[in-house]
Amino acid sequence: MAFEDLLNDPVIQKYLHELVGPEGMPVAAAPPDGEVTDEELAEQLDLELNTVRRALFILYENDLASYRRLRDEDSGWLTYLWTFHYDNIPENLEAEMHRLLDALEEREEYERTHEFYLCEVCSIRFEFGEAMDFGFECPECASPLESMDNDRLVGAMEERIDDLRDELNVDIHA
Amino acid sequence: MSAAEIEDSLSDDEYRGLELIRETGGIHQSDFWKELDVSSRKGSRIAEALVDSGLIKREDTVYNGHNTYYLEPAARDLDFRLLMAGDMLSPFIGEEEVDPRSDSFSQWLMNLAYEDH
Repeated sequence: MAFEDLLNDPVIQKYLHELVGPEGMPVAAAPPDGEVTDEELAEQLDLELNTVRRALFILYENDLASYRRLRDEDSGWLTYLWTFHYDNIPENLEAEMHRLLDALEEREEYERTHEFYLCEVCSIRFEFGEAMDFGFECPECASPLESMDNDRLVGAMEERIDDLRDELNVDIHA
Repeated sequence: MSAAEIEDSLSDDEYRGLELIRETGGIHQSDFWKELDVSSRKGSRIAEALVDSGLIKREDTVYNGHNTYYLEPAARDLDFRLLMAGDMLSPFIGEEEVDPRSDSFSQWLMNLAYEDH
């Protein structure tokens, strides 16, 4: 099996699982060295051909696999020969870290500049304006809405934003 | 070879170079050899060995009016655990659009604030 050092990383395992789902995981978790056909994989892994093809196609969409087609000269059938490109995983995850950082920055600003009210019975959160419209009563259960402190949330977000900026060498003023 | 095995195979000077690139997060090659206190030719050979090992990236750049290289850690060297909150992975993975106010991101943030500590 190829790319063992990458596949030992629990975050990378989780990433592949997120992409291909539990059904496709046997395909994603055992990339062979060199080329392989979808039929060979299905047989080796004892999976439906469709399951194998679905997983391969998701990997292809994420730049983690490519194929070339060969036509059998006698039968005219097409064979797909697949190659795994897991060396692209680190770049993909780096891009995901940037996307997460952008989202955290935007959400942190929203959390910091708004006031929130909570229905402690339904665990539903309302912005101040919404809560006022409902007369500070939960529209679901009519319990009183309580002012909610999100300092801990904002603090955790700020910490992760700092860590990501540091790891990605993002200049705050850039 | 795993990243740890590659690191073990580095010479002392190469390892010092790698540490410097990691600590700075990125450095111009013209500063790199000065910081390491080696000749420019030796600095260039160290950088080349680190690029070949896949541990760093090297890009052409202009710095103080000279053509040089910018050296930075390769993506495989990043701490991908920063995508996790508790046992949850960033909800934007596999999604085309990033919605900072989505329910799945709120769930991720709750994990971050209340389960990490």
